[in-house]
Amino acid sequence: MPGQSGKRGLTRRQVVGAGGAAALGFAAPWRYAAAAKVAPMTIVINQSPWFDSFRKTVELYEKETGNHVELDVNPFAGSLEKQRNSVRAANGQYDLLIMNSGWVAEMYFGGFVEPIAAIDPSFKLDPDVYTLDNTVYFDADKKTMSASGKLMSVPISPLIPLLYYRGDLYKEAGLKAPETFAELEANAKKLHKPPSRYGIVQRGARGPATVSYDFYPYLYGFGGGIFKNQAAGDYTVTLNNEAGRTALDYYLRIAKEAGHPQTASLEQAEVIQNMLTGKAAHIMVVVSAWSQMDDPDKSAVVDKVEFAVTPHAEGFSTGPGLGHWLGGIARNVPDDRKRSALEFLRWFQTREAQLAYTKVGGIPVSAASYRDPIAQERRYRWMKPLGEALPHAVNIYQFPEASEVISILELGLNQAVAGNSTSVQALNSMAEQIFGVMSKRSYNTGKLPALL
Amino acid sequence: MTTSPRARSLIVHALLIAAALLVLIPVVWVVAAGFRTQISLLSGAFWFSPVLKNFNEVLFSKTSDFLVNYRNSLVVGTLSTLICLVAATLAAWSLNRMSWPRWFVHIFLGWALVFHMFPALALASAWFTIMRTVGLDNTLTAVVLAHTVLNLPMALWLMGVFVRDVPVELEEAARLDGATTPVLLWRIVLPIIAPGLAATGILTFVFSWNDFGVALTLTMKQTATVPVAIAKFAQDYEILYTQMAAAAALSILPALVLLIIGQRYIVAGLTQGAVK
Amino acid sequence: MKPSASAAAQMAAVVAEPSAPAGQPAAADFQRGLDERVWRWLTLSPALLLLLALSVLPLVNLFATSFFTVSWSGGHSSFAAAGLNNYRALAGDTLFRAGILNTILFALFAVGGQMLCGFVLALLCTGVTRGRLLYRTIFILPILVPGIVVGAIWKLLLNFDFGLVNQAIALVGIDPLNWLGSANTALASVIFVDIWHWTPFCFLLFLAGLQSLPQDVYEAAKIDGASGWQELTYVTLPMMLPTIMVTFAFRLVLAFKVFDEVYLLTGGGPGTSTQVMSFTLYQRFFREDQTGYGSAMSVAIIFMTCILLSAALAARGRMGAAK
Repeated sequence: MPGQSGKRGLTRRQVVGAGGAAALGFAAPWRYAAAAKVAPMTIVINQSPWFDSFRKTVELYEKETGNHVELDVNPFAGSLEKQRNSVRAANGQYDLLIMNSGWVAEMYFGGFVEPIAAIDPSFKLDPDVYTLDNTVYFDADKKTMSASGKLMSVPISPLIPLLYYRGDLYKEAGLKAPETFAELEANAKKLHKPPSRYGIVQRGARGPATVSYDFYPYLYGFGGGIFKNQAAGDYTVTLNNEAGRTALDYYLRIAKEAGHPQTASLEQAEVIQNMLTGKAAHIMVVVSAWSQMDDPDKSAVVDKVEFAVTPHAEGFSTGPGLGHWLGGIARNVPDDRKRSALEFLRWFQTREAQLAYTKVGGIPVSAASYRDPIAQERRYRWMKPLGEALPHAVNIYQFPEASEVISILELGLNQAVAGNSTSVQALNSMAEQIFGVMSKRSYNTGKLPALL
Repeated sequence: MTTSPRARSLIVHALLIAAALLVLIPVVWVVAAGFRTQISLLSGAFWFSPVLKNFNEVLFSKTSDFLVNYRNSLVVGTLSTLICLVAATLAAWSLNRMSWPRWFVHIFLGWALVFHMFPALALASAWFTIMRTVGLDNTLTAVVLAHTVLNLPMALWLMGVFVRDVPVELEEAARLDGATTPVLLWRIVLPIIAPGLAATGILTFVFSWNDFGVALTLTMKQTATVPVAIAKFAQDYEILYTQMAAAAALSILPALVLLIIGQRYIVAGLTQGAVK
Repeated sequence: MKPSASAAAQMAAVVAEPSAPAGQPAAADFQRGLDERVWRWLTLSPALLLLLALSVLPLVNLFATSFFTVSWSGGHSSFAAAGLNNYRALAGDTLFRAGILNTILFALFAVGGQMLCGFVLALLCTGVTRGRLLYRTIFILPILVPGIVVGAIWKLLLNFDFGLVNQAIALVGIDPLNWLGSANTALASVIFVDIWHWTPFCFLLFLAGLQSLPQDVYEAAKIDGASGWQELTYVTLPMMLPTIMVTFAFRLVLAFKVFDEVYLLTGGGPGTSTQVMSFTLYQRFFREDQTGYGSAMSVAIIFMTCILLSAALAARGRMGAAK
C-alpha cells in the first residue's frame, strides 16, 4: 500500500507544519501539540459504523502533533472481553480504553481506570463537553457516578436513540413531528400499511442489550425507571410501578397495532434495514445510524428520513437511554503512555477537533459543535434534535453487575413482546428477579407490591 | 425391483444434483453478494449490476488489513498443522508401540478426550493470561500453539488409528536389523502412514483456518486472522453483508485449493485407516 | 477386515490396546531397553508438554476457581470462598436448564440429520462413476466456510422480509415464515443450518468407509440374488457400523460445543428456544463476568459430557460383546 509507506515521512513534515501554524497563532488549541511530543500509545476500540470517523480524527491528531497512535479495532463481539483481559493483566496492552456505557461501571468499580487528576492534576474537562448523566465521573467512596466524584474519562461518542421518521410520508399525509407518545401512536397508525410498510418497527429480540435498550425511551419517557435513585444509592426496584406498566402496555400496543408482525425477533440491524428498504415509517434507534440513511449504496430512502427527540408522555421529558462510549485511561500501563493517552483526550475535546470529527461523519461530544452553523446544514439535520436530547440522556445502570439485570430484562421483555406473558406478569417477574440479584450483592434494595 | 440400470443411474444423478444445488446455492449466493451493493441485497432484488467495490474495500482500503490477516491465517494454519501432526504422530506411536503402563495410556488419552469436549471459549482467557505471562501475547506463536493444542486430540485419535495399522512384524524386523528409533520412524513408519498424515493434516488446517473465538482473544491488529477480520463486518447495528460476503468468498479460496488438490489424499488416507 | 476389531469409537479404546509388549521377543537386550526408555519419553514429550501447559494448567485452575466468587476492586481480584454454592446455583439457573435441554435436542437432531444426509450422499456418490470428483468437491465445500460466516449467510437467507428462502416458498404460494424469530421454528432452523454446515464431515468419513469395504462380499451378495435394499441392510450397514459409531461420537462431541452459528443466528432467542449450553456459559462466564460461577458451569458441562460419552461407550461395548 503506497499510501501507508509514505505516511510516516509525511507525519514528520506535518510536525514542522503544525509547529509553524502554532507559531503563527493560527490554531490556539494546537499549542499543546507543539509542546507535547509524547510516546506512542494504543487505543482499543470496537468496529462500528462510527469507527471510521474516529479513525480519521485520530489520523488528523497524528498529522498535527506527530504523535503515533495505534488503533486496535475489534469486532463488537468480544471487544469487552479483550479490554478485560488487558486491564486485568499485570501490564496492560491498551492505554486508552474506549468503553461502552454497558461496561463503564465495571471498569470504574474494578479500579481499572486511572482518575485523570492522577495523571495531570491540571486537566480540565472543557465546559462545553457533555458529561452524559455524569458518567464521566466516579465517586469511589459512595460508589456512584456523580459530579462529586473524580473525572475518569472524556466522552468519545454520545450515542442515544433518536426517533427516525419518513419526512416524505409525513408531508404527504400532512402530519407534524410527534412530541408525545400519543402523537407518535396516532401517526404510526396512520402510516401503517402492512405488509408493504409498518407504522413503527421496534427491536423486540432478546440479545446482549437489545429489547431492553429499545424499551428505555418508553420507560423513562413515561416517568418510570428500573430503580428508585441509583445516584443516591437507592436500588429499590420500581420497574413494576404504574408508570412501568403504562410504558410496557404502550410498547406492546403499538407493536401490535402499528408494528412489524415479527417484532419479537427483530434486532437493531434489522430494524434499521426496515427503514433503509422503505418498510418502516418510524424507528427509534441510535443516532449514529444516520449516515446509512443518506448513503445511496445502502438506502432506498436517501434524503427522506427526518430526526426528532424520542417522545415523552404528557408532563414528562424525553428519556433516551445512554448507549455512549467514553475514553478512559488504563491504570496498568507505564506513566508515559498514560500521559500520551491524556494528550490525545486533551486534543480531542477541543472545539476544532470536535468540528473536524463532525465533518468526517462523527457524532460530536461538545455543545460547541451543536451551536456551530454546521448544525443547520441538511446533511447534519440530526444534530439539532440530538443537541436537545443529550442533556436529558439517562444512564440506565450505575453498578458493575448490570449485565445480570440486563439479562433478566431481555428475557422478560422479549417474552412479553412475543405474547408469552402479559405485561403485568412480565413486570412482576422481572422486578422480583432484579430484586434477587441486588439483594444477593447486598445493595440497598427493596421492592414494590406486585402489580395486579 | 426391476428398474433398468439406466433409469437407476438417472435417479441417482438427479438426487445428487439436487443435493449439490442445496449446497451450492448459498455459497454462490454469498459470492454473488460480494459483487452487490448493500441496498440491492437488502431489498431482495434478484438481478443486479455487479460492482467490485466490496472486494476493493476488503483488499485495499486503508482500514482493512485483509492481506495481513490472510498471511497470518496461512502461517498459523500451516505451522499449527505441522506441529500438531508431528506431536500427534510421535505420541500416538509412542503410546502404541512403546512399553507404557496401561494406566498411563488410559489417563493420557482420556484426558485428551475430556479436553476435546471442553468448550474452547472457557479456555481462551486462561490462554491469554498464560501467553501474556510468558510474553507471547499478540504474537503468531501464541495462536499457533493454541491451535496446535486445540486440534491435538483429533489428530492424536486419527494418527493413533493409522499407526496401529503399521504391521508390528515390520517394526520387529527392522529392530532386528539394528534400526534405531528415529531410523525406524523415518524409514518404516512414515511411508506407511503418509496418506493418513495428509488426511489428518487437511482436517487440522481447515479447523485452524476457521477458528474465531481463540484467535480473537489472542490477537491484536497485526496478528489477527481471517475469521477475526470477517467478524468485524458484523457490527453492533449494521452488518456489512456485502463486504462480509466478499471477505468470506476470499477466505474460502485457499481451503478450496487445498481440498481440490488434496481430496484424493483425504479419501485415500481415511480409507486406509481411520474408519474402516 | 473385521469390523469389531477396528471399531474405534474413541481414542482410548483405539490406541490404548498396547500391541507391542505382548509380542516382546526374548531377544530384547539391554541396548534396546535403554533405547525404549529414552525414546518413549522423547516421542511423547511434545504432545505431553503441550497438553500439560495449555490444557491441564488452565483446567485445574478453572476447577479451583469454581469454588470461589471472584470480584475486582482497585485493579486487583479478590476471591471469596463459596464452597459448593456455585454448583448449587446451577440447579436454579433457567438459562442453564434450557441450555441442557436444547443442546441435547440440538445434538441429537443435528448429528442424526448430518449422519443420514452424509450417508445417503456417500452411498449415492460411490454409486456413480461420472462426475464423482465434482460431486465430492461440492459436498465438501460447506466445512470450508468459517462458522461465523455460515451464521451470517443463513441469517440473511432466512430473513423474514427479504430472505431468499421466503422468496422461494412464496413462488409456490406459501406465506413467509419467520424461521429464526418464531419459537416454533428457531431451533429447527438452527439445526438445519448446522446440518448444512457439518454434513460434509460425515460424508467424508462415510465415503472413505464405503470405499474400504471389501468388494467380494458384494459380489457374493449379487450371486445370492440380493436386492439393492437387502444389500444395504444386510451387507453395507453392518459393515459400516464401526465407521458410523466413530463419526457419531466425533460429531456429538463437537455438537455439544456448538457456539459460532447460534451466536450469529439467534443469540439464544426467541425466549430461550435456542439457548444452548455453550451460549449460557458464554453469557454467565463472560458477558456477566461471573468467573467463579462460570467455572463451575464449565466443570459441570465436562462432567455431563463425560457421563454421556461413557454411556455411549458402554452401549457400544454391549453391542460389541453381543456380536
